Amino acid sequence: MKYTTFNQKVSNPLTEPMFFGNPVNVARYDQQKHNIFEKLIEKQISFFWRPEEVDVSKDRVDFQKLTDSEKHIFISNLKYQTLLDSVQGRSPNIAFLPIVSLPELETWIETWSFFETIHSRSYTHILRNLFSDPSDVFEDIVLNDEIKLRASDISRYYDDLIFATQLWQTQGEGRHHVDGQDYLINQRELKKKLYLCMNSVNALEAIRFYVSFACTFAFAEREMMEGNSKIIRLIARDENLHLTSTQHILNIWARGKDDPEMKEIAEECHDQARDIFIKAVEQEKQWASYLFQHGSMIGLNKDILCQYVEFIATHRMSAIGMESPFEVTTNPLPWMNNYLNSDNVQVAPQESEISSYLVGQIDSEVNADDFGDFDL
Amino acid sequence: MTSETSISEDMDKTRIIYQVRLVNTPGPLPCTSKCSLLDSLESHQLEVHSHCREGFCGACRTKLIHGEVEYITDPLAYIDDDEILPCCCVPKSDLVIKLG
Repeated sequence: MKYTTFNQKVSNPLTEPMFFGNPVNVARYDQQKHNIFEKLIEKQISFFWRPEEVDVSKDRVDFQKLTDSEKHIFISNLKYQTLLDSVQGRSPNIAFLPIVSLPELETWIETWSFFETIHSRSYTHILRNLFSDPSDVFEDIVLNDEIKLRASDISRYYDDLIFATQLWQTQGEGRHHVDGQDYLINQRELKKKLYLCMNSVNALEAIRFYVSFACTFAFAEREMMEGNSKIIRLIARDENLHLTSTQHILNIWARGKDDPEMKEIAEECHDQARDIFIKAVEQEKQWASYLFQHGSMIGLNKDILCQYVEFIATHRMSAIGMESPFEVTTNPLPWMNNYLNSDNVQVAPQESEISSYLVGQIDSEVNADDFGDFDL
Repeated sequence: MTSETSISEDMDKTRIIYQVRLVNTPGPLPCTSKCSLLDSLESHQLEVHSHCREGFCGACRTKLIHGEVEYITDPLAYIDDDEILPCCCVPKSDLVIKLG
């Protein structure tokens, strides 16, 4: 089905499925099928921040004091975060917007992706401050084998869905022969690809980011690289919200609250989806060994980090109704919670530059009690 | 209604203590309706997994087996019908819960 930027067919967005219904026409939010997405948009916009507002100038001095193995951890970490946000800054738009059918979800996807581009800009802000020419760091992202290994797994499900959608839009359903390969395109196949892609994105937001967050905050625990940590804290808050959105989408499907065919697919592809999650956990553990290959840092080593990945994976898997194969029940990095607490993100203006304003914070609620001491 | 009675009623309202029982833990814990259930549980030296403490990350997702809670912040994280987010709710009755 050909995509149209303004679908002139009259459709009722309250009865459309989230994906693969009619393309969205009027961007209206007065009525919503799944109002959670508008709430997420509002919350996300209230989190707005700019990397330039965070002062990272002291980090340059700290960075010079790090040992070589710590420098390796810090820089590899930033490279990986840059890769993740490079993918996330464009992929939800390219993969999901052509097939989305609800206005509130369409706008959520755009808002989500936009925030990932803020994250990407913040890595340049951090690196520009550390090096007079950060080119080497950026250029290594497409050359480094360890990063490439992750990149191909992260982008595979997106690329699959995008290509299948393109074939469907240009050639319709059926068997298509492109560049010596056969592709079977029908609604069911497309929906399966969407389901697996959403699971892969969910694993990315749920697990992949957290290994690098842990490293960043481990530096901050030693009062090192604090500007960087402030930025990553803002990023972590955003990522938490993005994770919530993919968990909602997966749960809405699985509980049959949207497209009944997606419920069937969720059951049919449950094992495959679970494998995507477990593979992400394994890859992150391998990444931890790469980070610490030249030595550990105070407060963090490969084993603790691997335990943390398993611990967080157990929680994330249970949130989408998956059974976890891991047995870590206590948090091996309890201090992580302090950095992920959104209260600690908003800092007092005298301590640092303000990165979030609360707009329109007027208490407009009036209770009958408020008039209690009124005498006429 | 005079001003005095309305104030004393208000004071009472903020002071209500409910008994919160945890599955597999002996004895109920007194929790106030004045602060979030998460804060109350932590004041009893309980370790509850939590991140955002604002209802959007879902880290503190907890099973509500019996009782009623009231949300002080609209929860954004996905929760099942029998689950609550202690970070943004207060007890409205005695509770039986199971930590995740």
